[in-house]
Amino acid sequence: MTRLARSMLTLAAGVTAGLAYAGYAAAADKELLIGDQCDRTGATQIVGTVLCPAMQDYYKLVNSKGGIDGWMIKGDEIDNGYKVPEAIEAYERQKQMGALMMTLYGTPQTVALNARLEQDKIPTTSPGFGISAAADGNRFPYLFPIAATYWSQGAGAVQFAKDQLGGALKGKKIAYVYYDNPAGKEPMPILEALQKQEGFELRTFAVPPPGVELGAQIIDITQRYHPDFIIAHLFGRSPSVLIKGLKGAGFPLKKVVGLVWASAEADILAAGGWATAEGYNTLQFAGAGDNYPVRGEIKAMYKKDGKDPPKEMDDTVVYNRGLLQAAVQVEALTNALKLSGGQKPTTEQVKQGMEQIHDFTLGGLVPPLHITATDHEGGGFVKVFGVHGGKFVQETDWIHPFRDVVLNAVKTAE
Amino acid sequence: MPEFDLQFTIYLLTNGVMIGLMYALIALGFVLIYKATDAINFAQGEFVMFAGFIAAAMMARNLPFWLAALISIGGMVALGFALERVVLRPLIGRPVIAVVMATIGLAAVLRGTAVLAFGAGTSAINMPIPDDPIQLGPVALPPVEVVGAGVSLLFLAGFTWFFLKSRTGIAMRAVADSQQVAMAMGINVRRYFAFAWAMAGIVSALGGIVWGAMLGVDNQLALVGLKVFPVVILGGLDSIIGAVVGGLIVGIVENLAAGYLDPLVGGGTKDFVPYLLMIIVLMVRPEGIFGRRRIERV
Amino acid sequence: MFHRESGVFKTSYASDMALYPLPVARWAVVVLAVVFIVVVPLTWSGYFVSIVNLCLIAIVGALGLNILVGYTGQISIGAGAFMSVGAYTAANLVTHLSVPFYIALPAGGLMAALIGTIVGIPSLRIKGIYLAIATLAAQLIIEWTINHVQWISGGVQASIPVPRPSIFGIKLVSERQIYCFLMFFVVLALVATLNLVRSRIGRAFIAIRDQDIAAEIIGINIFKYKLYAFAISSFFAGVTGVLESYYLGIANYEQFQIDVSIDYLAMVIIGGLGSVLGSVFGAIFVTLLPIVSRWFLEGFGGVLFPNADLLNVIPNLRLVIFGGLIIFFLVVEPEGLNRLWRNIRNYFRVWPFSY
Repeated sequence: MTRLARSMLTLAAGVTAGLAYAGYAAAADKELLIGDQCDRTGATQIVGTVLCPAMQDYYKLVNSKGGIDGWMIKGDEIDNGYKVPEAIEAYERQKQMGALMMTLYGTPQTVALNARLEQDKIPTTSPGFGISAAADGNRFPYLFPIAATYWSQGAGAVQFAKDQLGGALKGKKIAYVYYDNPAGKEPMPILEALQKQEGFELRTFAVPPPGVELGAQIIDITQRYHPDFIIAHLFGRSPSVLIKGLKGAGFPLKKVVGLVWASAEADILAAGGWATAEGYNTLQFAGAGDNYPVRGEIKAMYKKDGKDPPKEMDDTVVYNRGLLQAAVQVEALTNALKLSGGQKPTTEQVKQGMEQIHDFTLGGLVPPLHITATDHEGGGFVKVFGVHGGKFVQETDWIHPFRDVVLNAVKTAE
Repeated sequence: MPEFDLQFTIYLLTNGVMIGLMYALIALGFVLIYKATDAINFAQGEFVMFAGFIAAAMMARNLPFWLAALISIGGMVALGFALERVVLRPLIGRPVIAVVMATIGLAAVLRGTAVLAFGAGTSAINMPIPDDPIQLGPVALPPVEVVGAGVSLLFLAGFTWFFLKSRTGIAMRAVADSQQVAMAMGINVRRYFAFAWAMAGIVSALGGIVWGAMLGVDNQLALVGLKVFPVVILGGLDSIIGAVVGGLIVGIVENLAAGYLDPLVGGGTKDFVPYLLMIIVLMVRPEGIFGRRRIERV
Repeated sequence: MFHRESGVFKTSYASDMALYPLPVARWAVVVLAVVFIVVVPLTWSGYFVSIVNLCLIAIVGALGLNILVGYTGQISIGAGAFMSVGAYTAANLVTHLSVPFYIALPAGGLMAALIGTIVGIPSLRIKGIYLAIATLAAQLIIEWTINHVQWISGGVQASIPVPRPSIFGIKLVSERQIYCFLMFFVVLALVATLNLVRSRIGRAFIAIRDQDIAAEIIGINIFKYKLYAFAISSFFAGVTGVLESYYLGIANYEQFQIDVSIDYLAMVIIGGLGSVLGSVFGAIFVTLLPIVSRWFLEGFGGVLFPNADLLNVIPNLRLVIFGGLIIFFLVVEPEGLNRLWRNIRNYFRVWPFSY
């Protein structure tokens, strides 16, 4: 009966696990709980494994300075593996634990959970992904993109192309290379609207997921279409394949801009290193680079504990995005604590706190955000960084061009 | 509206051939396992990824490329032996679907282990070859792809010889045909199973190094495994030459679809057109182009 | 169930074929029913009910896939695609015609059944693993179509909001209400499957699985029955898709991709091919395993890995545990959890006189 014995053992392990969970400690007295979802194992692992540690580092930093008026931040993180059922489970669990606010991870997950957010009234951020129309705080009262949506990113990319091509796009050819899924197609309405307004020629090149091989698209772009500028909206492995391929085909990389998920250090490394990617432009919603005071503070915090800064900090793009997310959360909680008069805030007060965020820049890492009850995007600012001499160098200031076109799209979206 | 353009088509075809041979490199490992052990390996992509992780980790320790490659090959052979012993041997004689499921479980284990052991970040494999494309007339070929295609063709020749002429190869074919009969003929079935997995380890190691050099190494590398299915099914699951021909067909069809079909339908067709072609071929030849027809009896 | 067989005498074929061959089994089912219909929704917290809900949805899908894979022997890696067909059909009906759930659900199922039948046509010629990959092709083609045909997908986002269903004017909003809604369909699916597999059609399925040539010789039209199997299985998948989009409030094809198809295949195989109870076990096992292993690691991970970054270790170790347990169960009992359960039951049935 060894088989039986073994299976009994397994069963026992399962039961113990259940008990272990039952003994899970409830939230401490002066603690504010934030529920974060993350992807450390799934399709977007390379982003998640840098972004989420950054958020934890920021909470640690705030707590090491005494928290917010003595309130400690606890960021509960659950890995959803970029799967929807896991995201539901994580959401319900964090709701149960009493999370005051949440951060989701992944567009399908955001789409799937939106109905629940409204029902449970939990303010939730979805920075840089999710539903562009969620910038409208009236229609999506509990969803906060807090960073440039895909629409704002598309507008920013077109403006950058316009600047690079001498200030006018009339008669120019722009190639839009996109990941062929809903997230990849999202900026298209903006690009098409701007095409009419600015009079450029637009051709789209679809990259079916997972996009590990782009030979045909690159040939099509460089040998047949000959565009003046390329806007790349790619995910996962495909950005680096594109950079490498365009470089091999002799296309000038300074005429290429990647939207936010095609713009990390990992993409540059996988493409063959900084020398290969020299000139490539990246769109960012959080400042890239190491020269921000908050990064210094985190390094100092680690040093005080006698530790080296974590290797995630080598990354300055995705890590800084994690800092932005956590910092905006903490800022919202700070505002909420003012509203509640030092009591533990309600989720409704956190929502109001979120809607009061303005002129919060974290030493330049965060754009001049201005979140209001109607604008949950906070202005939709982006900044372009170019690859020059082994690092990201700022090409523009924070911009949010063609705001009327974007806002019009937000207004007319159904 | 796309019109025919000779120069452009030649570029597409060349790229298709190169990338097709790169697909074949991964498909070969898959076919090898099926041919010798009758098992469908859904973890082929993870094998390739794991090999890439080993090689990249070694290169990060400043070992020379050839040594890193050797360690990766050695590691994958060891992994092949170990998996055969722990996972697949107990499943000998079990239904095919149980083996399929076990390899799906294996895929999850490999993905988790790779990150735990090597970290989740992206790392690079730098081959000691020039970066500049090789000019062949008007066509520019990326050197990585040339190496990959070469390795692929080398394996094609090697394995064809191996299965046709060598004693071990013939024994493996016998085992694949019927494990019982092979056993009755005095063939050590377990030993040849272990051999097959070890050989698949070698192929995966080279696949991992070449693809890793092309894409960079992280968990995304496993996704190339998805490309294998139309390749092996088109060519026939138990045919070495089928893997290469299937790879070529898929590579060329993908490129032509992307070049001429995408602008028409306004979407990326190159992933599903090979599958569509595969179904059509299967309706005519249910065992793929080179697959061996199995005679069924009651 | 927990019972002993001695003292039970069957005097007719009808009683031998009965759903509950033993009186005790019937009582056990009643007790289970009371537990699941009264105790669970009234006493469990919202979080636990939400986990049960995920299991319930998975059970319906696993039952359907088991009809195809377990009973008829046609391996399919396309379950997710049929779910999305069902989900989008229902979502379009609900948004454009605002039909109630009792029309949307069967309509989603029927549309999936129709598509499933078309996908099943190659099964006439293609067998085994070749067929499995052909269904994978169907998965990709259906995904692509939904992604690119706007009147199906409802726009660039390819997601259509689906309001929660209402019964007698009451909108089901809480986890508990939706639990009862889902439970009703799970029971329906269980009863339907149990009856299907002991019917003429079910026996034909089993004959095809065991030896399709022999089945043909004894006069079974194998093409017809294979198509039946695809249609019925896809109907279940379609209904699963509708249930899931009601539960989530959205129809979105990205939640029904290949990994979902593989998860469902895992449920069926780990649970036990050709077993209704096995489908239930498998669905619960595959849904709960990642959740329970996380609880476990959160509870004990700190003991095992004092210095490592737990947040990074947990998800990856969870993957290893998930894959490892799948392999473990297959090696211990290739015929699945259902067989394991039967072994345990048989052991206790004659216990303590195990000779």
